[in-house]
Amino acid sequence: MADTNRKIQELLSDYAGSLRDGCLPVFLQSLTRQEGKTMTCSDEFWEAAEVVRVLNGVGFADKAAIADAGLFASRVDANVASRLKKAKSSPRARRTNGTRSMTKTQKTEKPI
Amino acid sequence: MKGLTAPDDDRRRRAMEPFVRETFQIFIRYLYRYLGNEVECEDVLEDVYADIWENPDRLQEVDSERQLLRTVYLYYMRKRLREVYRRMNRHLYLSQNDLTNLTAPELGTLDTISQSELKHALGRALGRLKARERRAIELWLEGMSVRAIANELKTTVGAVKMLKFRTILKLKEMMSEYCPEE
Repeated sequence: MADTNRKIQELLSDYAGSLRDGCLPVFLQSLTRQEGKTMTCSDEFWEAAEVVRVLNGVGFADKAAIADAGLFASRVDANVASRLKKAKSSPRARRTNGTRSMTKTQKTEKPI
Repeated sequence: MKGLTAPDDDRRRRAMEPFVRETFQIFIRYLYRYLGNEVECEDVLEDVYADIWENPDRLQEVDSERQLLRTVYLYYMRKRLREVYRRMNRHLYLSQNDLTNLTAPELGTLDTISQSELKHALGRALGRLKARERRAIELWLEGMSVRAIANELKTTVGAVKMLKFRTILKLKEMMSEYCPEE
């Protein structure tokens, strides 16, 4: 991707390559201002990009080393548990549980 | 989907495991289209599932796999996909709109179709291409680089890029015929 003024077909080819190899950030960083404009103005690029993504899913997703669903479910459960814990300990949650902190006026009020 | 939209947090949490087991392969393959990287796909999907647990309202009306995929993409995945590259954008010569279109685009006709339907449509479309066009795409799907494809087809790298671009546009047109919008 050393070429600094790529044409639309070259941009698409590099986009497809980076998506296939899982290194999209490298492609994004390689774009020049001019190339960004070329992409913006080309309807064909965006149409072709849709097919490139489909090819990526159909052609390569099955070959990828995707984790076991059972193991992944426990990872999700850990994430949920952490969010649950955070929600329970956050001040907003405490307030909804009825432990509302005293307001300024309440604090300054003198007992009769 | 039972229990997933229950108001009780713990009940929803218990319902997550069967939901993850049922949908994991569908969702991760779908995400792979946009990221092309297993590790990133898993990280994003973990947050997507946790978001679903936290706010499952959008799934209440879902009654088919296609609708589920569409809803999960639009309301849960897309937000997370945008976040993956958002921080990078300060250093890019790309508008925020174009970055979003590349990394978390609006749904096109082909984006909501199931993997098996797409495979079928792609197979039919590939069958209609000229031999040289089909070979270029097949070699690409085997994982060959553009240079290697050029060597195989005995042509230049530039010619292969142009051939691929034109063929992909052809494929788009053909596949849209096989996959009408719902």
